[in-house]
Amino acid sequence: MKQNRIPWTILAVLLVSALVLGACAQPAAPTQEPAAPVAGDIDCTGVKTGDTLSMLYQWSGEEEAKLTAILAPWSAACGVTVTPESSRDQALLDTRVQAGTPPDVTFWNVTQLSQYKDKLVDMTTLGANAANYAGYWGEIGTIDGRWLGLPVKADVKTLIWYSPANFQAAGYTVPTTWEELDALVEKMVADGKVPWSLGMESGDATGWTGTDFIQDILLVTQGPEYVSKIIAGEIPYNDAGVKAAYEIYGKWAKDPKYTVAGAEGTLSTGFNDAILKVFSDVPEAFMVKQSGFASGTLLGTYPDKVYGVDYDFFGVPGAKGLQGGSDWLMAFNDTPAVRSLVKYLSSNKGGEMWAQIGFDLTPNATGNAAYASPEAIKKAGLLAGATGFTPDIGDSIPGGFGSAEFSGITDFVNGGDLTAILDTIAAAQADAMAQ
Amino acid sequence: MARATALPVMKQKMGVPWLYLLPALIVMTIFIVYPMVNTVGLSFQNNDGTASAATTCREGEPCWGVMENYRYALTNELNTESVQTTWQSFWTSSYGNNIKWLLVMVTGTVGIGLIFAVLVDRIKREALAKAIIFMPMAISFVGAGVIWKFVYNYGTSQVQTGILNAIITGLGFEPVAWLSKVPLNTFMLIVVGIWMWTGFCMTLLSSAIKSIPEEIIEASRIDGATNFEIFSKIQVPIIAPTIIVVITTMVINVLKLFDIVYVMTGGNFGTNVIATRMYTEMYTNAQYGRGTAIAVILILFIIPFIVMNIRRFTKQEAMR
Repeated sequence: MKQNRIPWTILAVLLVSALVLGACAQPAAPTQEPAAPVAGDIDCTGVKTGDTLSMLYQWSGEEEAKLTAILAPWSAACGVTVTPESSRDQALLDTRVQAGTPPDVTFWNVTQLSQYKDKLVDMTTLGANAANYAGYWGEIGTIDGRWLGLPVKADVKTLIWYSPANFQAAGYTVPTTWEELDALVEKMVADGKVPWSLGMESGDATGWTGTDFIQDILLVTQGPEYVSKIIAGEIPYNDAGVKAAYEIYGKWAKDPKYTVAGAEGTLSTGFNDAILKVFSDVPEAFMVKQSGFASGTLLGTYPDKVYGVDYDFFGVPGAKGLQGGSDWLMAFNDTPAVRSLVKYLSSNKGGEMWAQIGFDLTPNATGNAAYASPEAIKKAGLLAGATGFTPDIGDSIPGGFGSAEFSGITDFVNGGDLTAILDTIAAAQADAMAQ
Repeated sequence: MARATALPVMKQKMGVPWLYLLPALIVMTIFIVYPMVNTVGLSFQNNDGTASAATTCREGEPCWGVMENYRYALTNELNTESVQTTWQSFWTSSYGNNIKWLLVMVTGTVGIGLIFAVLVDRIKREALAKAIIFMPMAISFVGAGVIWKFVYNYGTSQVQTGILNAIITGLGFEPVAWLSKVPLNTFMLIVVGIWMWTGFCMTLLSSAIKSIPEEIIEASRIDGATNFEIFSKIQVPIIAPTIIVVITTMVINVLKLFDIVYVMTGGNFGTNVIATRMYTEMYTNAQYGRGTAIAVILILFIIPFIVMNIRRFTKQEAMR
């Protein structure tokens, strides 16, 4: 008798677990009714309540919270559960894509459009609304004739930050042309004052503030067409126009009369510290050329500074077109949830929502009227009035170009031979074009 | 005794040892052998492993066919205009920098470690002194890099936050940009490496010195040997095998060194070493072929030292 007990026990356990499993499975058994397509700008066609959408992006903290707030109306209306992951490590994304387990969508940089071009789903297929975007956005997002990415966030880099109070005290006025800027810089030097704060230290990406500046100079001296041709490989990086831009930059970046602590200051000062030097109690310089995020950095250290009084910005005078960073939505899978997300973000409501929350600027033109802060309105005005928008040259050319450009400009400021440096960068450019 | 002989004789079939080895072999195959084979395979292919590396050759440029990634890895940093520029560019390339690291850091850590091991052998608070030297080993490389980045900080304002420049400016000199001045910067990074690893070398060498029988030292003293003679003619020769093991271990450590350079300069200002260059090609540039080719070259550099280490180890085991 005793020996018979064990099989009975096993049977009982099996029965109980079968019951439990059955109970678990039951609620899920009847197929969910598709959520009704919501009228207006949120289109949930085909999405079932409880659908999940995996997402990988580089934002964290406050930025992540802003994105969540922007997506909230859509995910609530469609009943989609977003499973987000945040990482600045591109190796993570690369590994996932290589392994064949990419997230449904990712928000990443413009380079990845060409890097993953064979794996991305066409935006037209997903139902993106192209009418809400200026023509240059389509050009940047189109690789080999396919529209592969939706620009969601833009940051204007062609800005010079200054302190109106300091300018007023010294009797300087904001320049409106490149010649005026050049004259202002010389006047400051003649007055024994340091015009620029050009620090470029940024870990393994050291050099990017320098190459940003070069690109802005190119937008002034040559225009956006020229920059686009460099990106396309039609103009080699060692062209005379580029060389002239480096010489203008070098004159400022290497000389302690023009920038804080000269070449060594440019190389060793962190890009954030460089911003602060213009707004400190005893300012060390009058101007810093930096992207839109500069106000966030300076308010982080000097929370009492007031926009328009203590700090303000102007577009690089004489620049024909803008330079900017942009984040792009890329889709690796074509699911109803992905489609409805793409439709939402490219819709009027999506653009307005993005601007209202104020997550930098939205390339979606319907957002232009919805910004809250005067600072964002001024930036958006610059973006809306731009005749061209060029992505960062270094970010747009894949392969080793970006790092060659960074180490090139640091070597140049460190006293290297300009011709040889530009030849090396041009070789990396040609190399990237051949692949 | 009778019971002992009654025990059954242990008989093993041929396959049994292999059975014991199997779990280890499986783990080794999955995590070491397969990735290694894959790495070598990728190093002969293009940037994303979809075609042979030979397809990446450009017209009018030198080309090594399927070895193209190796051509890039070995020669791209060189400026072959003249013998002088070739030499100069080699010396500031990642390979040249790794040689600097090898020469200075290995001699530095082993030399200072040995001196400390001998000196603290005689003092009262030996454990305390050793603990202080060993302490940096407990800090992660990244942490150490961040700490030293502050030490070397180059301020442009009146106030210097970096202690080194604060001292220098306090004495009335101009501040120095430690991390961007070539070739000073590589040596400043090596100092961090020495600071971290001296404790490791000291501990191993110290225990070797302690294993020298006291009689030998005493006998030499009676014979009239000076302290220095004891050190150079008795202690060092006896612990020579340990010194060699420490040297080879350090050589391997230095060859694969990555963290300090990556954290402190990101390989900028001519401080790249082989491992940071590999990372840049692999992840920043998404050039898997080139990145893996550099990895393979690095492995080839390291293998002889691993072989030396293992040989020495088996020899020591045989002596026991």
